[in-house]
Amino acid sequence: MAMHDSGKRPWTFWFFAAFFVLFVIFLYGPMFVVYLLSFQGEGGGLTFPMNGVSTHWFGELVNPESRSGDIASSFQRSLGLGAMVAAITVFLSVAAGLGFRRRFLGSGVLFYIAIASLIMPGLFVGLGVNVFFSVLGWEPDWTTSGLGSQLTWTLPFGLLIMFAVLGRFNRSYEEAATDLGATPWQRLREVTLPILLPGIIGVALFGFTLSYDEFPRTVLTSGTENTLPITIWAMTTNVTSPALYALGTVTTLVSFAVVGTALGSIALISRRRRGGDST
Amino acid sequence: MNAPTNGNGRIEVMNVTKKFRDTTAVANLSLNIDHGSYCCLLGPSGCGKTTILRMIAGHESPSSGDVRIGGQSVVGLDPVQRGTAMMFQSYALFPHRSVIENVGFALKMRGASKDERNGKARELLQKVHMEKFANRLPAELSGGQQQRVALARALITNPRVLLLDEPLSALDEYLRLRMRGELRRVQKELGITFIHVTHTQLEAIAVADVVVVMTQGRIEQAATARDIYTAPRSAYVARFIGGQNVLTGVVEGVAGGLATVRNAEGARAQFPVDKANPAKGASLFAAIRRDRIHLTRNSTYRNGDELNAAVGIVHAIENQGTYVKVTLDLTTEEEFVAYMPDGEYFRDPIDIGDRVVARWDAQNLHLLEDASGGQQFAAADKDVALM
Ligand SMILES: Nc1ncnc2c1ncn2[C@@H]1O[C@H](COP(=O)(O)OP(=O)(O)OP(=O)(O)O)[C@@H](O)[C@H]1O
Ligand SMILES: [Mg+2]
Repeated sequence: MAMHDSGKRPWTFWFFAAFFVLFVIFLYGPMFVVYLLSFQGEGGGLTFPMNGVSTHWFGELVNPESRSGDIASSFQRSLGLGAMVAAITVFLSVAAGLGFRRRFLGSGVLFYIAIASLIMPGLFVGLGVNVFFSVLGWEPDWTTSGLGSQLTWTLPFGLLIMFAVLGRFNRSYEEAATDLGATPWQRLREVTLPILLPGIIGVALFGFTLSYDEFPRTVLTSGTENTLPITIWAMTTNVTSPALYALGTVTTLVSFAVVGTALGSIALISRRRRGGDST
Repeated sequence: MNAPTNGNGRIEVMNVTKKFRDTTAVANLSLNIDHGSYCCLLGPSGCGKTTILRMIAGHESPSSGDVRIGGQSVVGLDPVQRGTAMMFQSYALFPHRSVIENVGFALKMRGASKDERNGKARELLQKVHMEKFANRLPAELSGGQQQRVALARALITNPRVLLLDEPLSALDEYLRLRMRGELRRVQKELGITFIHVTHTQLEAIAVADVVVVMTQGRIEQAATARDIYTAPRSAYVARFIGGQNVLTGVVEGVAGGLATVRNAEGARAQFPVDKANPAKGASLFAAIRRDRIHLTRNSTYRNGDELNAAVGIVHAIENQGTYVKVTLDLTTEEEFVAYMPDGEYFRDPIDIGDRVVARWDAQNLHLLEDASGGQQFAAADKDVALM
């Protein structure tokens, strides 16, 4: 902040500035402790003080001999599951969003039922899916029951985002395409989807991040192989080394990378459309 | 452009009704527009202008009735089969495509090669003086430039009919005047039918061969721009187009094609009624152009002293450059305005609050059919500059 201005600021500025700083500390403070402790020295423990600084615990993560379990493959599983969830969420919520633009009998009720599913306790959704599978004699697995129960969580979100995106979408783009001789398919491919692309990336981002750290719906449905959050949960009870913190740091970096890529591409697209410096 | 347009652009709207659930947007409307003419649809908000345009374009289908283009019914056909093209109100240029891609879009949809598309698109961009901007995105253009691109994009299929929904409303005053001339020039050059929806009386009169004045899903009058202005059919049209004062009163007697009419304030005037013979006591309406009124200061005149005159207090004076607009309060409900040539006005300027007599010639009065629509269009005072 420019110092020479400080005398002119009203007290409300300082009040809200302080409030905002507290808010940021509140948001990131706890994780910051984790990041710091992940660089704990080789001989250090789970709590302060820091016993030197090292990257030893990051090495421990990929060390198959360590007690930290099957982290690498859980991580791969979570990435794969997140990608699948994102893809299916995008496909279904874009299709449903476009479909819902035309009011049909019961469309309102259907919408509210879809959205209301968000309030169902996640653990019981997972339990229900689990029971359902065992009744049918199916083996729960993260690619089937796990995927299904995560979708109950991501689809309503995806639908809500698409509603917001489509609410601002000017239908005359589509009419213009039709007017210029586009078939319904051409219209979708050449006009509607490209214009909606930033919103669609947003849906994919939401789908991925919701899945990536989903716990309650997945814990009972992932079968014998665990996703990353479940592995971490298991670690908290039996791993007593700062490797746990190192894991926290790595997963945070992955999340930031995903979010950054998504937001970056949205920003790039909209800057190009708003008119950057290209000629 | 040398390519021929796709045939005859004569439009026949036949007894068309369009209902949206409980609202009737267009009510049993019929309209013929000759091939190669420039037609303006004019009317207050919500009167059904856009709906008619969309039914001709094929974006909406009539609840009943028929739409024909070039003599053939087009109901159920899509826009390309109709040979129509539409320019949307906000232009609807695709934001993710460059200018040249926007213009060539229709050809791409038909599977034309990139060279063919770009060649034709460039040709059209040249026509609207936008070839320099071919590689820009729509967001990098001004409103007027976007409008030109939208025009080029609509014309690339050689339509026989171009439909324009308020094409100028997003532009500022200066560009609006320029672009309307441009539209007219392009229409003349191509010789195709243009249907142009507008809110603005001036715009319609300036560009159109045929002006269609609408109210509540009906046509109030369809006539040449000159006739709409000088011979409005009804009080509604006269008030809506502006430039006219509407006079009303009850018949006292008829002689020699002139009915003597007396208004509520006692002013008397002669209305030309031709061979009609209105009954004594019947209400008549007539219009008089505002530039056909003479004003004289007078403190003693009383209504009824003379025929074809009325007394009033000057209520407002506006200098319009070439003429001065003087608004009188005649204590009737109707506003009464005189346009005085600036020379005449400034020789002996009258002032607000002056008591003046307005006089006119009976043969400049134009009898109106009825007073329908008068109530829904209260803000009738749209000034039309006199040509
Ligand atoms: N899709 C629709 N659904 C329901 N009602 C509609 C629809 N389109 C138009 N209407 C109604 O039909 C009537 C005529 O609408 P229209 O858009 O043709 O008016 P307009 O003359 O173009 O008005 P404006 O000058 O404001 O654009 C209005 O009462 C409008 O509310
Ligand atoms: Mg409209």
